[in-house]
Amino acid sequence: MNKRVKRLALGAATAALVTMGSFAPAMADTVLKFISWQTDDAGTGEWWHSAIAEFEKQHPGVKIEFTKAERSSYADTMTTLFAANQPPQIVHLASFEFQMFADSGWLEPLDPWLRKDGIDMTGWAGQKTCEWNGETVCIMTNYFGFVMAYNKKIFDEAGIAVPKTYDEFLAAAKATTKDLNGDGIIDQFGTGHETKGGPGQYLTEMLNYIIDAGAYWTDKEGNITIDTPEMVEGLTRWKTVMKSGVSPVDMSASDVRKLFADGKMAMRLDGPWLYGTTEKGSAKSDIVYVAPPLTPPLGGSSNVLAMPSDIPDDQKQLVWDFIKLTMTAEFQRSYATMGGNTPPSPKADVSGVEKTIPHFPVLLATMKAASEKGIDRVPIGLELYYNEFSKMIMEESQRMIIQDLDPAAVAKTMQAKAESIKG
Amino acid sequence: MTDTVQAGRRKFFDLARPSRQHLLGYILIAPAVLMVAAIIVWPLILAIDLSFQQVKIPRLGGASRPFSVSNYVWLFSSQEFWLACWVTLKLVIVVTAGSVAVGLSTALLVNNRFEGRTVARLGMALPWAVPEIIAVVIFAWMFDTSFGLFGWLAIKLGFTGQMIPWVSSSTAAFWAVAITMVWKGFPFVSIMCLAGLQSIPSDYYAAAKVDGASSFQRFRWITMPLLMPVLGVTLVLTLLWVFRDFSIIKVLTGGGPLRSTQTLSIMTYDQAFQYHNFGRAAAVGVLTLVICIIASLLMLGRRSKSIY
Repeated sequence: MNKRVKRLALGAATAALVTMGSFAPAMADTVLKFISWQTDDAGTGEWWHSAIAEFEKQHPGVKIEFTKAERSSYADTMTTLFAANQPPQIVHLASFEFQMFADSGWLEPLDPWLRKDGIDMTGWAGQKTCEWNGETVCIMTNYFGFVMAYNKKIFDEAGIAVPKTYDEFLAAAKATTKDLNGDGIIDQFGTGHETKGGPGQYLTEMLNYIIDAGAYWTDKEGNITIDTPEMVEGLTRWKTVMKSGVSPVDMSASDVRKLFADGKMAMRLDGPWLYGTTEKGSAKSDIVYVAPPLTPPLGGSSNVLAMPSDIPDDQKQLVWDFIKLTMTAEFQRSYATMGGNTPPSPKADVSGVEKTIPHFPVLLATMKAASEKGIDRVPIGLELYYNEFSKMIMEESQRMIIQDLDPAAVAKTMQAKAESIKG
Repeated sequence: MTDTVQAGRRKFFDLARPSRQHLLGYILIAPAVLMVAAIIVWPLILAIDLSFQQVKIPRLGGASRPFSVSNYVWLFSSQEFWLACWVTLKLVIVVTAGSVAVGLSTALLVNNRFEGRTVARLGMALPWAVPEIIAVVIFAWMFDTSFGLFGWLAIKLGFTGQMIPWVSSSTAAFWAVAITMVWKGFPFVSIMCLAGLQSIPSDYYAAAKVDGASSFQRFRWITMPLLMPVLGVTLVLTLLWVFRDFSIIKVLTGGGPLRSTQTLSIMTYDQAFQYHNFGRAAAVGVLTLVICIIASLLMLGRRSKSIY
């Protein structure tokens, strides 16, 4: 009997130890999931890692699990996680894809959190985009302006000056597009546009020309404004550029940037992230950044931080602490120094950044110019239908180029289809 | 009395008794049935249920929306759906025919005795072994409009004076997808046909030769009829693969340009993840399933009758 009791006690103690052992790590650490497509982006990825390290230092026992999801399938991943009731605690989304989640009521309104901490968002670039149904549902992480990078060596060889207008840009692109070895295949392009990365990217690329022509998809009230003479001019320019062979076709953004970085392209209109690629390219020393010849520069909100509405309150506080940390003056400055990005905070101290990133003043100037003109890639009134809208615009533009259609007729078709999408 | 009841229970659970042996069968198969129900039937029921709701993004455990046939009404009145059906049908015919033609030819080739047959058989099966996504990325590079191998070859061989816009021309994009799918799909047909060919007794051919039958006659009257059971099943499996394949089209063309390569599977994806119309996506998925079932039944039925 005594022996049996001893055995039972020993067994119970072992079981207790095993059970406690397995619980111990869970009690010690609170884990916040943070999924992003920028985990290993040159500069920006390092900035996120530094913010996470600082947060974990300030919150002992709290870990942030920073996981990568590819940009091409990012929206699918987040949709699946939200649909399965398993959203990450720190929600990182592109500025054109958060609206669906906000509209479903899955994002926490941040106004009470901002008020509690007395944070004034006046002048925060692109923050208006984060307002949904009258509530702030996210914090704009990045608002950018497009710049133009050109290859000085190619320009010098062609004996041309840096273009200041669309006509000069087109002429320069034509002059620098060459079959260098005479095999019938173009080896050097005047410029480059991504046309394979999906409708959203296609729209961004063509928007450079549309905005320069004085057109846009909607007005400030959200009315569709496609069937206008300005839009016809913008579409004509896009058609001209794509049909004249000055840009490679059917290429992804990374391929186009690589081509430019390696000296196979004369000019590229792009956002601040181009710098990360050109720094690794073989033509690094020939590349110069200037203000784009197409004005106002294309700009817009890029990505946002948010939190899910149905996570426990203690986790909400931690997520807010993390978001707040990224908004501090220190991290807004390092967003520029480390990531080469233009911080959205109007109070960000960016003095001296040009010592490490020489073209930073150009980035800042184009960002401000775009912000002042209220330029954004996501048209007002079509936020919920952006994917459907952008696919329609891409298809009609492709039809215009492939079937050589009149841009005026295409603008009419786009107007009718956009109105139908909006309902 | 108690002893009698207990004895009765023992008799009932005595699975060794001949009259109870069927119970043992059911018990043994139950885990597999439950597993199939959990991973196939339950999601299927969810999809059918979703297709009858007007829902943008569903949430697991969330409240259901009222019953509605609006997704099906939209589907049947949508030009996009009928275009996707047409593209799918074209692709099914071209890829199935291409895969069977190449697969059967290679199987007949490697069924003969010749030096290097083992290497040839290995080479024939290689595309099947390459993961689909890797194969598609390689083909995407070869079909690249600016620097692709196929465009370069076309120029060098004098077929064209400039690079072919594989992905931005509706016709070229369709053929780029079809060629890639045939390359990826023919080894399966080949392996199946080879197995079928090896099961045909050589005596039949010997007897036919004695009777003076030519090579074509032996192929027509011995090989084909005896290969039909295998070929029938292979055809159905290939057809179903083409119907549901997603990654080849998604990576190569994304369904474009101008929806010239948008099949039903791409349309399902677009409705769900691009436009966030999960109800409509489920409706497309359910209809695709119905079409696949009908096609399979028709093909297997006709094959069975013709063979036996």
